[in-house]
Amino acid sequence: MSLRSRRKLLIGAVAVVAAGALTLSGCSAGSSGKNNSKGTTSVTVFDGRVGNFTENFNPLNNTGSYLSPTNGVLYEPLFYYNKARAEKPVPLLGTSFKWNDDGTELTVGIRQGVKWSNGKPESADDVVYSLNLVSNNPGLNTSGIKWTAKKVDDKTVVIDFPSTSFTLEPQVLGNEPIVPQSIWKNISDPTKTTNTKPVGTGPYMLKSYTPQSYVLEKNPYYWGTGDTAPKVDQVRYISLANADAATSALESGQVDYMGGFLPTLKDIVAKHKNLSYSNSPQATTAIFTCANASMGCEGPQTDPAVRQAMYYAMDRTQLNTQALKGFGLSASPTLILNTVNKSQITSPDYMTVPQKADADKAKSILKDAGWSLGSNGYFTKDGKELDLSINVVSGWTDYDTVCTLLKGQFKEAGINLSVNQTAQNSWTQAEISGKYQLSLNSINMGVSSNPYFQYSSYLASSATAKVGGSATTNVSRFSDPAVDAAINTLATTNDESAQQAAYKTIQDTIVKQMPYIPIYVNQALAEYNNSRATGWPSQDNQYAFPLPWGGNWGVGIVLKSARPVK
Amino acid sequence: MRFYLQKIAFYVVALWAAVTLNFVIPRLMPGNPVDVIISKMGAAGQPVTSGTRHALEVELGGGGGGNVFAQYGEYIVNLLHGNLGVSLVDYPEKVTSVIAQALPWTIALVGLATVISFILGVGLGMFAGWKRGSWLDNLIPVTTMFQAVPYFWLALILVLVLTRVVSIFPYAGGYDVAATMPGLSWGFIGSALYYGTLPALTIVISSIGGWMLGMRNMMVSTLSEDYIVTAEAKGLNPRRVRMTYAARNAVLPSLSGFAISLGFVVAGSIVTEQVFSYPGIGQLLFTAVTNNDYSLMQGTFLVISVSVLAANLVVDVLYGIIDPRTRARS
Repeated sequence: MSLRSRRKLLIGAVAVVAAGALTLSGCSAGSSGKNNSKGTTSVTVFDGRVGNFTENFNPLNNTGSYLSPTNGVLYEPLFYYNKARAEKPVPLLGTSFKWNDDGTELTVGIRQGVKWSNGKPESADDVVYSLNLVSNNPGLNTSGIKWTAKKVDDKTVVIDFPSTSFTLEPQVLGNEPIVPQSIWKNISDPTKTTNTKPVGTGPYMLKSYTPQSYVLEKNPYYWGTGDTAPKVDQVRYISLANADAATSALESGQVDYMGGFLPTLKDIVAKHKNLSYSNSPQATTAIFTCANASMGCEGPQTDPAVRQAMYYAMDRTQLNTQALKGFGLSASPTLILNTVNKSQITSPDYMTVPQKADADKAKSILKDAGWSLGSNGYFTKDGKELDLSINVVSGWTDYDTVCTLLKGQFKEAGINLSVNQTAQNSWTQAEISGKYQLSLNSINMGVSSNPYFQYSSYLASSATAKVGGSATTNVSRFSDPAVDAAINTLATTNDESAQQAAYKTIQDTIVKQMPYIPIYVNQALAEYNNSRATGWPSQDNQYAFPLPWGGNWGVGIVLKSARPVK
Repeated sequence: MRFYLQKIAFYVVALWAAVTLNFVIPRLMPGNPVDVIISKMGAAGQPVTSGTRHALEVELGGGGGGNVFAQYGEYIVNLLHGNLGVSLVDYPEKVTSVIAQALPWTIALVGLATVISFILGVGLGMFAGWKRGSWLDNLIPVTTMFQAVPYFWLALILVLVLTRVVSIFPYAGGYDVAATMPGLSWGFIGSALYYGTLPALTIVISSIGGWMLGMRNMMVSTLSEDYIVTAEAKGLNPRRVRMTYAARNAVLPSLSGFAISLGFVVAGSIVTEQVFSYPGIGQLLFTAVTNNDYSLMQGTFLVISVSVLAANLVVDVLYGIIDPRTRARS
């Protein structure tokens, strides 16, 4: 989440200065082009990095400390799973895949004629080596399940799993980089290498590196042709400290491709005709509640009626307008997206959360549950007032705004909310240990847009722990046998009707129980300069998830789709 | 000699205290790095399962094992070997090399700016005190006002005016990354100086007022001393009276202030580096704290404590030379 904090740290100041800059300066984007006289085309990317870069191109590193283009731009997986729109996996180093009926054996077709960026041929042996390298190393295998890849012939690899593993498909096919055996077999500990001379199959390769900036160049051996071949000669990565500097860089035409929330984005784009943006919301901002009294949660929020009342008491239009300048999308009470996951939402009633506050409905829900309105305007039950406290990271300005507004909105419904601004560390710690009442956070998508990942992460009993223990992801402590069974069904079947039935069970339960109270789907803005290159994703054509962050394989697709302006 | 030995003994004890605090404080902070990485992975859409936590714990190594005293012993031994551990943000890079990358930038920028500010401030203050009522006296309220303005605000305004309204200076970075590579070339040094001018300017503008005011007032009171009157009565050259008799005595309090501010060169740069996206140690510390990177934090704090102590030691010794009275024992 540190990206968020970087982006939002100085936004208060940024808004003022950026607005001032807009009114005072008439300078146009693209004035300082970097296409030099030799005809080399180049684009500059800001990936959110603060301070010096540290040379690390190890695609297998799990700690997120490799430089952001490593996975996707320098190294490629077998397939690309686009989370920005509902579509089939895009073949990269693989060409096709097929599960057996039990979900224990995955047969993958391997692309022929691929070469590494050093000119040597890539083969099915490299695929087998790379997949088994991860599977056999407990420091690399984040799934906890060991698979075995075997070469059948030059064009086919079969991956065996110990049990039904349909849901591992995007992890194995879409999130494991294929690395050259000839190089990696000599590396004694793949978790500790920094791989400063990366050799991959991606559309770009490393040209030069300094701690302040590094440059990638077109991979001359890249397998793609025509539309799938990179055309821009060079890609430069730079680091900037904050959103203020990023805004300046974007407006002065020194950055071609970046991600991040700029409060004045609409004005900036209106002023500079070369700039464009796309918005690919994926993470549902929600009030996380420590909901389960039987797991040790304490406070009024353990009463489902209180959670329901909060759900109806909030004015989401106001929250979106004030915190996100209207860039948020409407959330679904099912916690999955009503855009890419539309077909998996099982009732039309579950499509969107109410956008306007309904304080009367909130109050009647509380009254029905035995709460009574006190003379001071707040509900009470058994002599205790309906006082709730919400944790929020101070400095994440959009979250802070939401909490401040919620305090007023909840007051209308007789709920007394106090806002506890805290440092990121203690905020995370409170959620993991369960020692909190409410916490503002977001429901994140998994490795693909398959709703299984949200549901198994945030609702499964296996992902939680009693208060005081460490909950991996299910920090609400939600636990329901029917939901657990349905999640298990999702993991073990490929049958669509069985999956829909499981979705229905889960959705009917959580819409009632509301362990996470959705607010909106948070913005995910990427900004582009079209003066040196075009072909960037647009709002209507999100051929890849565009935010240029580490771990996003889509950046490779975006960069190889960019076309230099003649 | 005894004077210097005493000084050194004092600084050894102070260093030990700093090193020990440095060990204790990060351990009192909530959260652990594995949790932070998992929450980052979740936000980036990486799969997070119970296996993930295990994989990260394996990858990052035990770390927090053993009792506190064993950890402390290990920490001291490592420290004596110049081993500050491995950064978690930039895993598996060594903390020493991460710091080594950032430190020169900070020392060059903030160090030079502090020295320039001190020399300018003391020099101007000296003349202001020597010629009371001149135009220089009117400069003092202006510089004090700049000091009173919050530093980040002043810096942001200067960025807006000097990089956006009139594009004299670049808005971010340490040098022109597209045009030159770091190294001992005129192109690089010129570029680094150009990029460093605006941040340095903000530091000088915001700190010069204090030096100037302090020096002027000391100068005024020194000038009323008997030995100045004597020197003038002897018919000494006014320049000699000003420099050797008045300024040398008047500068003493400023000099100890300078020692402290030199020590904070390393620490006091966080805001500057944030505003100007400058690749120094302030940004490093900021990243380390937000990511619970204990070893990087410890390393950075250590560098800061050592630099404060070293600056104080140097000035303490120099002070003894400039002002022999401090060496005398009663």
